[in-house]
Amino acid sequence: MTLQLMTELLAGGAVLGGLYALMAFAFSLVLATTHVLNVAHGTFMVLGAALSTLLVREAHLPFVVSVALVFGTFLLAGWAFEEGLIRPLQGRPPVQVLVGSILVTFGVAITAEALLGYYWARAVEPQPIFAVELGLPSLRVGGVAISGPRALALVFSVVAVAVLHVLLTRTRLGQQARAVAQNRVGALVIGIQPSRVARTVLTVSVAAAGLAGTFYAVAVPLNPYEGLRLTMVAFTVAAAGGIGNLPGALWAGVGLGIAEVLTGYWAGAVWSPVTYLLVLFGALLARRGEAVRGLVR
Amino acid sequence: MRWAGLAVLLVVLVLAPRWLGRDLTTALLFTFLLVVLACNYDLVGGYLGLYNLGQASFFGLGAYTTFLLLRVPGLSSLGSGGAALAVLAGGLVAAGSAALVAYPLLRLREASFAVGSFGLLLFLRVLVDNLPGVTGGSHGLYVAAGHYLSLGTAYGLLLALAAGSVALNWLVERSRMGLAMLAIRESEAAAAAVGINRFRVQQMAFVLGALPTGLAGGVFGLHTGYIDVSVVLGIERSLLPVIAAMLGGTGSLWGPVVGSVMLRAIDVGLKNYLQLPVPSPAVYGLVLTLIALRMPRGIVAHLGRGRVQGREAARAAPVVQAEEVS
Repeated sequence: MTLQLMTELLAGGAVLGGLYALMAFAFSLVLATTHVLNVAHGTFMVLGAALSTLLVREAHLPFVVSVALVFGTFLLAGWAFEEGLIRPLQGRPPVQVLVGSILVTFGVAITAEALLGYYWARAVEPQPIFAVELGLPSLRVGGVAISGPRALALVFSVVAVAVLHVLLTRTRLGQQARAVAQNRVGALVIGIQPSRVARTVLTVSVAAAGLAGTFYAVAVPLNPYEGLRLTMVAFTVAAAGGIGNLPGALWAGVGLGIAEVLTGYWAGAVWSPVTYLLVLFGALLARRGEAVRGLVR
Repeated sequence: MRWAGLAVLLVVLVLAPRWLGRDLTTALLFTFLLVVLACNYDLVGGYLGLYNLGQASFFGLGAYTTFLLLRVPGLSSLGSGGAALAVLAGGLVAAGSAALVAYPLLRLREASFAVGSFGLLLFLRVLVDNLPGVTGGSHGLYVAAGHYLSLGTAYGLLLALAAGSVALNWLVERSRMGLAMLAIRESEAAAAAVGINRFRVQQMAFVLGALPTGLAGGVFGLHTGYIDVSVVLGIERSLLPVIAAMLGGTGSLWGPVVGSVMLRAIDVGLKNYLQLPVPSPAVYGLVLTLIALRMPRGIVAHLGRGRVQGREAARAAPVVQAEEVS
């Protein structure tokens, strides 16, 4: 393997890994602050990809406009999702919230992807593929070629992770979210309302998922039934990096992205899912579930 | 009285194919299949409170073992005896792998357990998909004409498995092991304090819940004559038992049965009579969401809230709370 090929594989893995880190972080922030394991997280990404495909490819809107529309739509969707499906769970004991949220959001994921796949196949194209084609030229950085769309996806995930980092560490809301994640009762004592924090965090995470899906579709095409896989990847990265841990998610995400690309190169693309599943089992067993459980007391 | 009623029901179900058409007999067959999976799932999901989202793994292992064994010339030449042996072996392989998989999986709890069990199913799917030399990959496997099970035979076998699964749950519920399972579900610490070996009990429940599922996989495969990843390892196949058990009432003897019948009735009604332009997974998902949100104890307990009390109500759903204090 030449040095150049190696670098290109690493760059491809980094692009994927940046997106993984972003989606894992939004996913695990929700888990940490609200004890909700949102199985539909990946489905929201797929829905984001579908909506932007619709706006860019079918409605011929400029990409920037469609990104803004996706963001607005998913803020609303996230709010409605929290209001209608997550809020009713909140009175239960933490473990019941966790388990109940898995079942509720699993149902949402199955329903949404079945409807999306079915009606997209009827109304738009028989073989649904969500891809946002922007016609960007590829970039050459020091002899290494990176395709333009992938570079855009990488830039987006870096910016989005940075924005989330600032939100979490520099704003009052972020402080409150971290306080709730660390100690729910303590947060209540000093006058934080966990339910309000939960609503905001869930809304932001759904919006982040919608945008992550958009840029995922810029880099790699998606099909309607990949939502559960994406959620599992998000869970894997979150479990490996530590729930609610941004630097951890970043390292784990990029590591997994690179490992997946390398596995795909050496063993064939069909084997790349094995990578994240093995990392998942490793992380679950190494932490004995403490990654999740530690926060659900 | 109750026994007489059950006996009558069983006789009616045995004789039913004589009066019903092919379509309704097939609908009943699918109901029995779901009853097997839902009861088996509930042994772990309800009585132990461990949400196993990978029940289909055992179903797929049973089906693939049966099909692969029937490719061995010595066994396939035995005719229906060979097929019976292959199905039995499928059940044993499913049970054996449940015993093995229990070692890593039972270290996990709650969400980690659910995700881990689902991950194992996905792992099995990747393996089956990517080893076409053994499993036929995406082309699937066909059974030789001589081993094909007619609708009547498959109906009888699946009815027997469904009745057996209900009986198994009944026996477990009334045994020392059943008591130990409920004790573990309510508080692992307290169960350990009275000398219950948590791992052994949970592993046993896992194995018992995998055996009929594996057998059903073989029987169902031989009846359809064709298996592939989506037929026997589909995510829907793994989730439907969970939904059926939740719908009827998880952790109760008849809950999974009631739930399976309702779910199948909804499906048949949608497809054959209403002909709504809605894919069935969407309906299943909706049912799961509504049940988990509105009546987590299931429809039986929900409707009879006033009547069902005491022991039955305590069984109706896991009440994991003592854990949190620790």
